[in-house]
Amino acid sequence: MSERYRPQVVDHLVRPRNAGEISDPSGRGESGDAACGDVACFTVGISDNVLKHVRYKVYGCAACIAAGSALAELVEGRHLLDAARVSKAGLVDALGGPLPAGKEHALTLVLDALHKAFEDHWNRKAGDMLDAHRGRGAGGKSVVAAMSGGVDSAVTSLLLKEAGYDVATVTFRLHDGERGSRSCCSPDTVLFARDTAHRMGLPHFTLNLKDLFDRRVMQDFVGSYTEGRTPNPCVACNAHVKFHASSFLADELGFHHVATGHYARVEEGPTLARPVDESKDQTYVLWPVPRELLARTIFPLGKYRKTDVRAIAEERGLAVAYTPESQDICFIPDGDYRRFIRKKVAAKPGDVVDDEGRVLGRHAGVVDFTVGQRRGLGVSAPTPLYVSEVRPRSGQVVVGRRQDLEVREVRVRDLNWFLDPEQAACVQVRYNGSPVPCTVEETANGGWVAYLDEPVIGVAPGQSAVFYTGDGERVVGGGVVARRSS
Amino acid sequence: MTEPVYLDNAATTPLDPRVLESMLGHLGGRRGNPSSLHAFGGSAREELEEARDSVASLIGASPGEIVFTSGGTESDDGAVLGLARSAGPNKRHAVVSSVEHAAVREAARRLELEGFEVSWIGVDADGIVDPVEFAAALRPDTALAAVVWANNEVGTVEPVPELAEICAEREVPFHADAVQAAGRVPIDVSETPVSTLALSGHKLYGPQGVGALYVREGVSLEPIIYGGGQERGLRSGTQNVAGIAGLGTAARLAREEIEPRVAHERTLRDRVMAGMEALPDVFVNGHRERRLSNNVHLTVSGVEAESLVLFLDSLGYAIGSGSACSSGGHKASPVLLAMGLPEREAFSVVRITVGKDNTPEEVDGFLGAFSTAVEQLREISPLYAG
Repeated sequence: MSERYRPQVVDHLVRPRNAGEISDPSGRGESGDAACGDVACFTVGISDNVLKHVRYKVYGCAACIAAGSALAELVEGRHLLDAARVSKAGLVDALGGPLPAGKEHALTLVLDALHKAFEDHWNRKAGDMLDAHRGRGAGGKSVVAAMSGGVDSAVTSLLLKEAGYDVATVTFRLHDGERGSRSCCSPDTVLFARDTAHRMGLPHFTLNLKDLFDRRVMQDFVGSYTEGRTPNPCVACNAHVKFHASSFLADELGFHHVATGHYARVEEGPTLARPVDESKDQTYVLWPVPRELLARTIFPLGKYRKTDVRAIAEERGLAVAYTPESQDICFIPDGDYRRFIRKKVAAKPGDVVDDEGRVLGRHAGVVDFTVGQRRGLGVSAPTPLYVSEVRPRSGQVVVGRRQDLEVREVRVRDLNWFLDPEQAACVQVRYNGSPVPCTVEETANGGWVAYLDEPVIGVAPGQSAVFYTGDGERVVGGGVVARRSS
Repeated sequence: MTEPVYLDNAATTPLDPRVLESMLGHLGGRRGNPSSLHAFGGSAREELEEARDSVASLIGASPGEIVFTSGGTESDDGAVLGLARSAGPNKRHAVVSSVEHAAVREAARRLELEGFEVSWIGVDADGIVDPVEFAAALRPDTALAAVVWANNEVGTVEPVPELAEICAEREVPFHADAVQAAGRVPIDVSETPVSTLALSGHKLYGPQGVGALYVREGVSLEPIIYGGGQERGLRSGTQNVAGIAGLGTAARLAREEIEPRVAHERTLRDRVMAGMEALPDVFVNGHRERRLSNNVHLTVSGVEAESLVLFLDSLGYAIGSGSACSSGGHKASPVLLAMGLPEREAFSVVRITVGKDNTPEEVDGFLGAFSTAVEQLREISPLYAG
């Protein structure tokens, strides 16, 4: 048996504060599971970002009931920013001291339920308008910082706080593949991010963007492969999800800026510029951020090297200091994107052909192929063969020699310009590629074409083409590589 | 506040003042080691043997078949592990009910780790072992079978005499955990052919930390504690003379007073049950008739057990949360799951166990407090629609 409860806990148990349920709440949040023995439910009434009413219900041990009661008492009447800052430590103080060993989960449970009620409030307010949201101007020193739970975003928030900003942190629920999803409480990533924010004394919010992310990122990802394009889900997320949602929350809170832990810099204009740490440069995936959102965006890490960021985390005692680098594709944690796609769409076999249409072999489905790929073609030839084109309609995978893949012009669509296109002096067509000198020209159908000074290979439709200035430092604009025929 | 009311007698009983009296001489006076040859030792030895007689009488055994232990858990472990380890290399199978106290259950799980195969015998919704299923599980290589005489959580009394007969016919050693049953259910090992049987002092108004293991004459049992060979070599270590003297007195009183005690408990238990029937969505678990005279086990819909126990504690009433042993960690009781209770209800169970010293007035006061606590906790429960 565990040690005894403090009298404060028993008092909350016997005389619970704010127990009950609001009939027409601004938000409702539930955490826990009857099969685990604990369920907490919060309903909140919010107006003008003030928590006018808080009611809670708990099925669970005395610690859970007392923690729920103490939390409801603590946050009622407070501004959302202050309520969202209440940490486990603050709750422990309100309960007169630490709970008995083994009962600490009560704190996590009730905080999670309250935060889910806030999340519900935001999501109700956002409705379907979330992805259409556009930012207001910059200027003041307040910022909504996106927190994933990793070291980069944690240090981002910390640096902003130390620079004198009012910081509110936000974590997005993007998909169900998050680490440590359990039946009780939120996935570990959300709980971890919340703990990290609270340890820095910062308010933390969550937003449920699963529908938006599914529509704008995951469906596009699957669709791209089936259409023979090579998608970049980070680009899609930056174009439609992350910055819009951060901006929505900033507007709701009356905050000026948004921030993320990307390695890039925002210069006057606004212009996107390469970061100090070139090895971590993320400008290639940030080109689609709309200008009006970029104008209010801060990338504090643009001035730091990754090693500095880790050192800062370590020096300030952030528990995230040793977390591993995040995955390439966050919703495919095992990295096996082919298996992921095959679960969504049935693969149809087809022919492997050369550029004259001669059949060289069979393949199990076009989703397995991407332009530039050399392995797994199932065709033997005297010289190495590469995928030069994927034709989803006919199910053909075209292969050729390395030199057959060389292109000297790249067609680009869906452009987002930060600077005058005339300043585009070179183009980068792969995440880890180098910019190639080029000249650009607008085409009749509203797209652009880049004429390359030297040939490049493996330019895959669907990938990003990002234009840089002559010194290679600033992003002029970017777009999506179109099919050669289009 | 008035003196708190104790209704958790299945966890431990109060110490009977007469038991305390019988122990004091061995705690404060001169004392010897019962193994010593001199007068000091002789006096201690006499105490031990007197207690052995009393314990033997309680269950119809011969004094030579009683081994003193440190309590119910040691008795159960000693029987289960001891019978298994003395069964020979060709007998690597055990038959164990799925409603055992943790002492037997965990000992059987230990046997599984040692390579034994254990057949866990299911129960019906009341927690009763089916003798037919039990008999069917016995095999030529079965080293032992074990079924609790009366379950410590829901209080269901198992058909142990019948099961023991089946085992005797099949020549399979049979262990019965009678820690809760002793003093409430008539136990006579001269009629019921158990091989071993576990008893505990502190469930009988005796002291904590002392118990006994009945080992039928002729049953071979490998000890689990080695040393100076006390207790016929089955339980080495200098005996807890004061505790054993207390156990002896408690056993004598239990035998002498079993009828009025059981009648008194039954009256109070039925009073509790009747009071519970007036409350909405409160259900009695376990068999209605074949249950211990002191036990009421309840599912209280929408209320988590620990919060109810502590709420009542603050009102001056002590009851048990399901099983005292499993409330340290948040895990559903295997006994309740075996009875088919849904996992989501397994945290909404409490146990009220009356004793010889409780009064009808205490029960009435308790019923009022219980109703208040349940009502208030349900008001804040998201799982109770009412």
